[in-house]
Amino acid sequence: MNALKIKDKNRELQYRNMIAVLGKYNNNPENPAGSLTSRRMRSIMNSYRLAEAYKPGSKVAYVGEQFPTEIVFAFNLLAWNIESMSILFAQADYADEFLHLTQENSLSRDICSFLRGPFGVMLANCYPYPDIILANDQPCDCLAKLEYMASKLYRCPFFTLNTPNYINDDSLAYLLRQCNDMIYYIESSTNIRFREENFRKVVDYANEAKDYYCKTIELHRKAMLPGVSRELHEIFSMNCFGLKETVRICRTLYEEALELYNHNTDRKKRKRILWVGQVPESTHELLGYMENDHEVIFWAPLWEGNLLMLDSKNPLKSIAERAILYHWNSERMKQNISGICDTYELDAIIISNIWGCRNMLGINPMVRELANERRLKFLTINLDLVDRKNFSFAQMKNRIDAFLEIL
Amino acid sequence: MKTLVENITDLYKNRIELLKTKDNPKIGWISIYTPEEIFYAAGLIPFRITGEQGIDLTDASAFLGSNFCSYVLSCLSEGLGGIYPFMEGIVFLDSCDMRKRLYEVWVHNVKPRYSFFLELPKAINQPGREYFRLQIRKLITSIESHFDYKISDVLLQKAIDLCNESRRLLKELYDMRKSDTFFISSTATINIIKACTSGLKEEFNERLKQLLLFIKKQDNNGTKKKHRVMISGSYFDNSGIIDTIEKMGAHVVCEDISNGVKYLEGEIPQDGDPVEAIADYYYEKGSCARIIDTERRFNHMMNLIKEYGIESVIYFSLKFCDTNFMDFPYFKNKLAQNGIPVLLIEGEQNMTNIENLRTRIQTFLETRMFS
Repeated sequence: MNALKIKDKNRELQYRNMIAVLGKYNNNPENPAGSLTSRRMRSIMNSYRLAEAYKPGSKVAYVGEQFPTEIVFAFNLLAWNIESMSILFAQADYADEFLHLTQENSLSRDICSFLRGPFGVMLANCYPYPDIILANDQPCDCLAKLEYMASKLYRCPFFTLNTPNYINDDSLAYLLRQCNDMIYYIESSTNIRFREENFRKVVDYANEAKDYYCKTIELHRKAMLPGVSRELHEIFSMNCFGLKETVRICRTLYEEALELYNHNTDRKKRKRILWVGQVPESTHELLGYMENDHEVIFWAPLWEGNLLMLDSKNPLKSIAERAILYHWNSERMKQNISGICDTYELDAIIISNIWGCRNMLGINPMVRELANERRLKFLTINLDLVDRKNFSFAQMKNRIDAFLEIL
Repeated sequence: MKTLVENITDLYKNRIELLKTKDNPKIGWISIYTPEEIFYAAGLIPFRITGEQGIDLTDASAFLGSNFCSYVLSCLSEGLGGIYPFMEGIVFLDSCDMRKRLYEVWVHNVKPRYSFFLELPKAINQPGREYFRLQIRKLITSIESHFDYKISDVLLQKAIDLCNESRRLLKELYDMRKSDTFFISSTATINIIKACTSGLKEEFNERLKQLLLFIKKQDNNGTKKKHRVMISGSYFDNSGIIDTIEKMGAHVVCEDISNGVKYLEGEIPQDGDPVEAIADYYYEKGSCARIIDTERRFNHMMNLIKEYGIESVIYFSLKFCDTNFMDFPYFKNKLAQNGIPVLLIEGEQNMTNIENLRTRIQTFLETRMFS
């Protein structure tokens, strides 16, 4: 990290660097989620947005995973989720080189690989340079710190939201004020005017997509619908509610889910396992192995914050409320998962701890307690989805085998 | 001087026994951003939970996982082990993700009679400042309600005076360390700070005054100019590492840590609304790894380097202390630009085997001092 600066801001070069990596991406068409049309639509949309971000005239905003992207979309900025990109590199078996770069630049190996990965990608100059970086402390403090670091690397404007932990009038007002300040800051930093009508349209799209999304969840709750939970998770991770394309994707997913549901006579065929924590890519051997005989339900799409519709009269207030709901909190998560246990008739819970994710580790005792109260089978696994040196499938398989046997 | 130093540090060493003799309710805290003034004003005794007696981390690790910050685990271990049976309650704040999780596990499993989680924003700006003032008022209301005690402005002012006096006295001691002709060991200084956080401020102030008086009477305590080192980073309290540095012939003259200069910096203004003054003081302190603005922390570090004439920095981070580790690449780069070498040391709370660290420190300092 010589002089902590990305010197070459040529997006064509950055695009070539990125394509050199992603060209190795190994997609597996055998995966059940792969047969869904909505998945292919999402894939096309992501590819398009990815390519757009590298065009010289595009305006790119780096954001985190649970950032209120509706605000970004209202400015017609391209939201670039730096953390989620890590999993792409892992799939391309290219993460090691990026991680090695971070170690060369004195970043500890104990930091979550979802943060080390993007830092390495920035150092390798593979991301499109950002016009602005918008941070929040979700899902963790260090993501906000990484984004701050990125603003130093690229010498670009930076704004961070600070999320309180509890919902009350003061915390909502505080977040609301920050959102308004952020809007002014984006305006002054990018010379793009914030247009209320744009924002209203974005909010309408977000709600329309979320409506289909929630209806899909409702169908999924009642029956095993292959690939649907995974797709719900991918849409959650994409964090693009507010785009017109996301409405189409969610509507298509709903229609596909409805068709699957109507043809599904045996409503609950397999034991249901709730997967809490970071999720391996759809082609990951661990999931493939488990899904042979069990239905894996991903928790993140069912997170209270993700299901919240925006109040069209006061969307920023809803965004503030959602931000707090997204904050890790043992009591809230316990209630949320408890509700999922009821509605999904779960048989077991798996907590997936990524090496370096202290929040998930810290939440673990509460989920374990809930599982005990509910007499559900419970397993904690530690894995690393990006830094494969921290993970051995053979060892994990033993644990999974033993767990599935007792189910 | 040794006796006078011990007279102070005994307040920490014997704090559990001393606190037991006091009738006032005791409140444990962890972060130096905890507004002690409010507890003193309420007639409570606020003391820092240091985790020093939480050596066996088995139970704590079972709750939070073994790849968790050992300071957090040690503190939890103390809680689970009932080290502070006299403690009425705890006040934690959102210093970092791990301490938030610590608060939840503590409240759920240690079950203190009183607990409060203080929201302290990690970005320094006007909305955050106003929000933190509200949080301080909520804390006051909560204490008044639980302890059935009215915290008046007069009481707050008195508590501000008490804590400011500690800060002034400690600053005097630290200012003396800026001179080449005065030396007090870093271990002693850290223990003095720990004594100040033991909840016995009045006694502490009196004893520190005696030490300062003694030092002032001496023109020179026989010290010669030596290589000047600063320790920066996480919670740090390892005399073995300090001994290694000092036995190399270098002096640790400043500790940019929560057991060091960070604790005593600044003063709370004595005019105006005392609640706002307290809130603003702690809010603007912002020089720890918990804040997002790494540059702000770096500028603070550079000011200390200039003030104390620092020639080398040892950056200590507890293993798994993510926020400190995240800042390091930036610091290393910026320090190099300023011609200041830095050595990163990763350690554990309560670690005793430091042989490999000793070798690294010795090599680092040798290249600095004798090349």
